[in-house]
Amino acid sequence: MGFSVTDLYKKYGEKVVVDHLSFEINEPGVYALLGTNGAGKTTSIRMILNMLSKDGGTVRWNGGPLTLQTCNIGYLAEERGLYPKNTLMDQLMYFAALRGVSHDEAKKRIRYWAERLDATEYLFPKQEGKKPVKPKKADQLSKGNQQKIQLMLALLSDPELLILDEPLSGLDPVNTDLFKGIIHEEIEKGKYLIMSSHQMATIEEFCTDLTILSRSKTVLQGNLAEIKKSYGRINLFLKAEQDLRRFIDGAGVTVLSSVGYSYQCRVTGEEQANALLHTLVSQGITLIAFELREPSLHEIFVEKVGETHEEA
Amino acid sequence: MKKHEMQNVGTVFRYTVQQHYKTKSVVIFLVILFVLAMLSFPMIYFFNGQDKEVTETQITTLYLRNEADIPMDASEILADSRYSALKIENVTDDDDAMKQRVLSEKTAAGAVISLNAEQMHFSIRTVYGQNGDIENKDARTLNRVLEKALHQSVLKTLSVTEAQEATIRSSVVSQVAKTADYLNGTEETGTDTHVFANLFYCYLIMIVCSLSMGYVFQQCMDEKVSKLVESLLVSVSPTALLAGKCLAVMLFVFGGLGIIALGIVLSYFISKSLGITVSADLLQSFLHINLTSLHLSPKTVILFIVCLILAFSICMGLAGAAGSCCSKTEDTQQASLVVMMFIMIGYLTGAFAPMFERDSVNILFSLFPLTSVFTAFPNYVCGKIGLPVFVLALVLQAITAALLARLAGRIYRMMMFYRGAVPKPAQIIKMLREEKEAAKQAGKEDSHGA
Repeated sequence: MGFSVTDLYKKYGEKVVVDHLSFEINEPGVYALLGTNGAGKTTSIRMILNMLSKDGGTVRWNGGPLTLQTCNIGYLAEERGLYPKNTLMDQLMYFAALRGVSHDEAKKRIRYWAERLDATEYLFPKQEGKKPVKPKKADQLSKGNQQKIQLMLALLSDPELLILDEPLSGLDPVNTDLFKGIIHEEIEKGKYLIMSSHQMATIEEFCTDLTILSRSKTVLQGNLAEIKKSYGRINLFLKAEQDLRRFIDGAGVTVLSSVGYSYQCRVTGEEQANALLHTLVSQGITLIAFELREPSLHEIFVEKVGETHEEA
Repeated sequence: MKKHEMQNVGTVFRYTVQQHYKTKSVVIFLVILFVLAMLSFPMIYFFNGQDKEVTETQITTLYLRNEADIPMDASEILADSRYSALKIENVTDDDDAMKQRVLSEKTAAGAVISLNAEQMHFSIRTVYGQNGDIENKDARTLNRVLEKALHQSVLKTLSVTEAQEATIRSSVVSQVAKTADYLNGTEETGTDTHVFANLFYCYLIMIVCSLSMGYVFQQCMDEKVSKLVESLLVSVSPTALLAGKCLAVMLFVFGGLGIIALGIVLSYFISKSLGITVSADLLQSFLHINLTSLHLSPKTVILFIVCLILAFSICMGLAGAAGSCCSKTEDTQQASLVVMMFIMIGYLTGAFAPMFERDSVNILFSLFPLTSVFTAFPNYVCGKIGLPVFVLALVLQAITAALLARLAGRIYRMMMFYRGAVPKPAQIIKMLREEKEAAKQAGKEDSHGA
């Protein structure tokens, strides 16, 4: 089992939009594809799904080419919509039929996902009195509720490979948690997920491996835990009841930002942090917080993408 | 084309059809079409004057001034049961005196018969008082009876029998044919009939093409506008998506035409059972055509359907290619120009084709795919081209339709994510070339990877 992309390449005219992207997913879990706007994430996903022709590279699933016939794919696109004037049930049944799901099975799955996503009232409206209930159409739903239906479309076929492009954008906190819960369930079911998002905290919550793209090039790739480990614990957070600036400067530690007597600092390593802590304790300073941690994905992303922008 | 690329065509077709016929306005439109078609024969019957004559007249006296050299036989007027009690008085009054007579009596009418020797025609002017009991319909009925009576009087005066008259009035159908065609009974029809057949057929094709164009544009843009295209493409190939939609459009167009045809056929039989009949002779004499000279047979019906489907396919290929370049409804105006140009060129060629009496022109129009759609079938049924040329024309049309469908499919696939102004043809060609190169490259790498 496994998914791989090798040397994926695309250019429009003279402009290279995806420059030899390669990565592998050998185990079920979430693989993150990150990048700034226009870095080539969506183009890469479209090429992976064979919607867009490649100028080079291969995409493989279980050793063979990835096609609609070789892999059951679920996809929540970044640019998403529904047929506005068609009923939701018709659209879901249509998608299920396209994926080869039988009529009865599709009904069962739609009911399951409607309950799971708290969308029963739109798909199975209750009859009030004798008046017949008109089935809901897509344009009668809010954006968030339409997004639930779109996620259902992606999940209806019980896909082996699920590609989610900005799955949480535009959702309120309640629905964000709902979507996150479903993503966790899919991971537990042993699905392969490729996720693209600008919300680093969300990605960090799910992903094991990642690729960061900037201006069509891969700027960082690997296992998230290992990447973080390679950076070391260089982020120091300090909080006290008095000004610590002279002690921090004296220890050669860089202050990234400060609010009152709280400081976000960058140390060269644990030794430097320990030396600063020793100085503060020996001076009898009462510390409210002293936290040494690895950089967040957000910080790594900003640093890596910033580097390529400076180079350019 | 790979087999799996056509997977799910049936599902797309069923869904598109189901959604189309679920729309109330579509159902109402089809019902209106059917009702109008059902009314066709009764409408022709009623508007054709079957009820224009009165069954009982209010006219009691007719003042007749005969200025023609032909003596009017009054018994011919009285032979009509409605006017058997009519009092006919021959007068030589001038117009004013005639007017006074008619106005003084509520149930009197006047008639003036004259002969224009220069232009060789008779005229009968029937007049009646506005404030009397006589209605316009009554006066028109009398006028028609006078017309018949005058005709009979002319025949009597000239000692011509009705049989002799029928012989003199017989029309001449002239045809030119090669010996082989003459022996096969496939000689040419007259120009009038050819013009009629061409115009009728061109008009039909124009309706089919115009209807298809609108539907195809709408179908090409549906997914782009609803932003559903990416979600769909993980389940169905663009080729299958377009093919399913085009088949659905075919059903919409031919379904509409079928409903009209069914309505007309039902209208004919129901009208016939109610005693309302409309003679085909009326149409023929009115248009100066001879439908019997057309080479019609059960085989022609099949060829007619084949020709309609080919015309539809070619138009759909063009509309599909043009419609795929549109991102929003406003873009369709620009794209529709291409298809309209094809329709208008074909229509005008078809309309003017019968005027070129040279065989080479008819053959050329029949073989050139874009004009062939409009001219090949009428040229064949009118005997202007033979079966081999007609079959060749159909083959060329089929090849053109297949090439256009392939082109439309490629453009549709290529432009699915395109947003912006409608690209120029040169840009499209460049993009197609790049796409082809990329596909070749990807194919090579896939085979290496495998």
